[in-house]
Amino acid sequence: MKINKLILSFISAVAILLSTSVVSFAKVVGDKIVLGAAISLTGKYSSNGVHTQNGYNMAVDRINSMGGVKVGGKTYKFEIIYYDDESNPKRAAQLAERLISQDGVEFMLGPYSSGLTKAIAPVTEKYGVPMVEANGASRSLFTKGYKYLFAVLAPANLYLDVAIDLAVEKNNGKPVTVAMAFEQDAFSQDVRLGVLDAIERTGSKKVIDDKLPKELNDMAATLVKVKQMKPDVLVVSGHTKGALTAIRQIAEMKVDVPMLAMTHCDAAKLSKQHGKNSQYALCASQWHKTLTYKDNFFKDGMKYAADFQKEFGYDPPYQSAESSAALLVFKDAFERANSFDKKKVRDALAATNMQTFYGNIKFAPGGQNVDKPMVLFQVMCDGSGKCENKVVAPTKWASAKLIHPIPKWSER
Amino acid sequence: MNKNAIIYGVILVFGLVAPFVFPAFKVQLSILCVLIILATTWNIQGGEMGYNTFGNILFYGLGMYLCASVQVGMFFPLAEWTESGGEKTFVHTPTQFFQGMAAGLVVAAVVPTLIAGIIGYAILGLRGHYFAICTLGLGVAAGEISGGIEIIGAGQGFTTPPFPNVGGLEARGEFFYFLSFGALVLTFLAVRAIYSTRFKLILNAIRDNEDKAEAMGIETMKYKIIGWMVSAFFCGLAGGIMGGLVGYIDSTDVAFDGREMGVFMVLMAILGGKGTLWGPVIGATVFHIFKEGFWTFFLGWQYVALGVLIVVIVIYFPEGIMGWLREKYPERFGEVVDEADRKAQVELK
Repeated sequence: MKINKLILSFISAVAILLSTSVVSFAKVVGDKIVLGAAISLTGKYSSNGVHTQNGYNMAVDRINSMGGVKVGGKTYKFEIIYYDDESNPKRAAQLAERLISQDGVEFMLGPYSSGLTKAIAPVTEKYGVPMVEANGASRSLFTKGYKYLFAVLAPANLYLDVAIDLAVEKNNGKPVTVAMAFEQDAFSQDVRLGVLDAIERTGSKKVIDDKLPKELNDMAATLVKVKQMKPDVLVVSGHTKGALTAIRQIAEMKVDVPMLAMTHCDAAKLSKQHGKNSQYALCASQWHKTLTYKDNFFKDGMKYAADFQKEFGYDPPYQSAESSAALLVFKDAFERANSFDKKKVRDALAATNMQTFYGNIKFAPGGQNVDKPMVLFQVMCDGSGKCENKVVAPTKWASAKLIHPIPKWSER
Repeated sequence: MNKNAIIYGVILVFGLVAPFVFPAFKVQLSILCVLIILATTWNIQGGEMGYNTFGNILFYGLGMYLCASVQVGMFFPLAEWTESGGEKTFVHTPTQFFQGMAAGLVVAAVVPTLIAGIIGYAILGLRGHYFAICTLGLGVAAGEISGGIEIIGAGQGFTTPPFPNVGGLEARGEFFYFLSFGALVLTFLAVRAIYSTRFKLILNAIRDNEDKAEAMGIETMKYKIIGWMVSAFFCGLAGGIMGGLVGYIDSTDVAFDGREMGVFMVLMAILGGKGTLWGPVIGATVFHIFKEGFWTFFLGWQYVALGVLIVVIVIYFPEGIMGWLREKYPERFGEVVDEADRKAQVELK
């Protein structure tokens, strides 16, 4: 069997290829601290992946240009190795493994979305690599006992329960009827659980509870039901595509509903893409530029938004802001740990208690940020058709009054 | 024959030392083993039997969910484990983890086999494109259905039990590597043994002319079903291992991943040469190396590069690498070549 010879030579070729392609970085090379990140540059989360990456890059540039990170009397600069995870959990887990075992990364930044963070967390945990993530909000991430996972954002179940409370309040404290449509993914399903809790708490009633497919681009069936059932609140969550689809079809089908609560409005650039059609949509957000938090690097939200606009040409969605904040947290932890020992950095992260332009950051034992509430904003347009997101709740930061109920399409 | 034994020995030794020689590539090597299993088992239908199935991903995904469910369910209430808002944390002891994994893998292999038997009985009467489309639907449907079942996490996904705190940092990688390599050896030996029996000839007869095979008294349906059950057994096993390796099961992106794994297994078998024993093995290896290379060196263009690779395969290697080699060096495949005849053919051209 001569064929075996071929196979043998083939295998040796593979062996040579593999052995020559081993590249080994250390976590700290010269004056650089190398962080690793798997980001969705392609696939269904690609637009939010880019928001995340822009946020990371913005903070890296800012921190490096303002003196870098001081550890042990020496100054270091941040550098990030990126890989594209294609919005696929399997790929993300593989890449985390690759960043740690091949590229020698010892500190990780999170990917975009809860699902991908869920896939990466077991890997970073096994290797004891601290990961500060800014885009995995699913509550179940924080109940697995992970010790090396830190999230700068508030958990997903808190996104829209405020909206239900608000609707009840507007209904003179009486229970409301709620229609729900959520994408089948880790994040949106967790938002749903939060809404269910709120419904139960307020004695409200759910009249529609639909699951939407991934790669969401049609929810007409749900909207037909909404037209029939006339609920007081319609809640939709499905990342960027969910927000865009909902607004597009609600306008097309002229669906009248007193309150429309969503997620990801700013990431989807709703007010820009759909203009007046997106008016009155109520959106959950981790951050808004008008909030009055401050830090030394980005000053405050308004300054951050202006700088971001200059650099990338669009208004920063909260996904970018929270990603930038992750770098600030890392810098702070490195300096307090005054070491690159993973365990020490992890302990320093756990003890984080700081304010950034994005909000206060303090981690619970589970790793979630417990010191930063969510805000709700509403898309509001002026006569000329220029639309803006204005914070309407909680009252501490509200810059406008909630418009409720949403005017009927026939009256607009 | 002697030479054969040496080759197998060399590959076995390579497989056993690989994780220590290339410690950084353990995960890629484990995935390679899984890919080879998938390509090899797809080849039983697509290559030997002539039934292009896209449905094998169903067994792979089933295996994944079953293995993880058994591993959790043996020791803890499954519903509480997958419940998103649950405040409780469950930790497997090492013994629980390995016992659960062992039991899980058995279930992950056996149940898909039975399901393949039932589904096969229902749909293996279809032929050609009809069969292909029908199986394509199976994977898609399974993904959507599993995404709605709360007890296995529905859209939230299913986090498989984390590897227990035993051994060093590398223990997890080594465990999953040897598990997948073991499964690969088992699959290869089983398929090789099957291919040396009359069973393979029957499959080939079905591929070449099913009606004639039937007319000759072969119960084609029976053999088609058995063939699919064999595939399902190893696909389920591979899925179970992959679930533990990835650590997180998502209904459409990880388990019933027809868009990637489901297509890749077909592609790998075709690249290597379908209808041969070694073709899928070579195809999967080449494919995996190219893929990882593209993902490293052409980041941002990886799918374009992969697309070009597929086009090149189809145009220049329509019969796959093995087919191409066979045409080029027929004598090495034990074919008797009549030199005069060969020359005459060349002159004709």
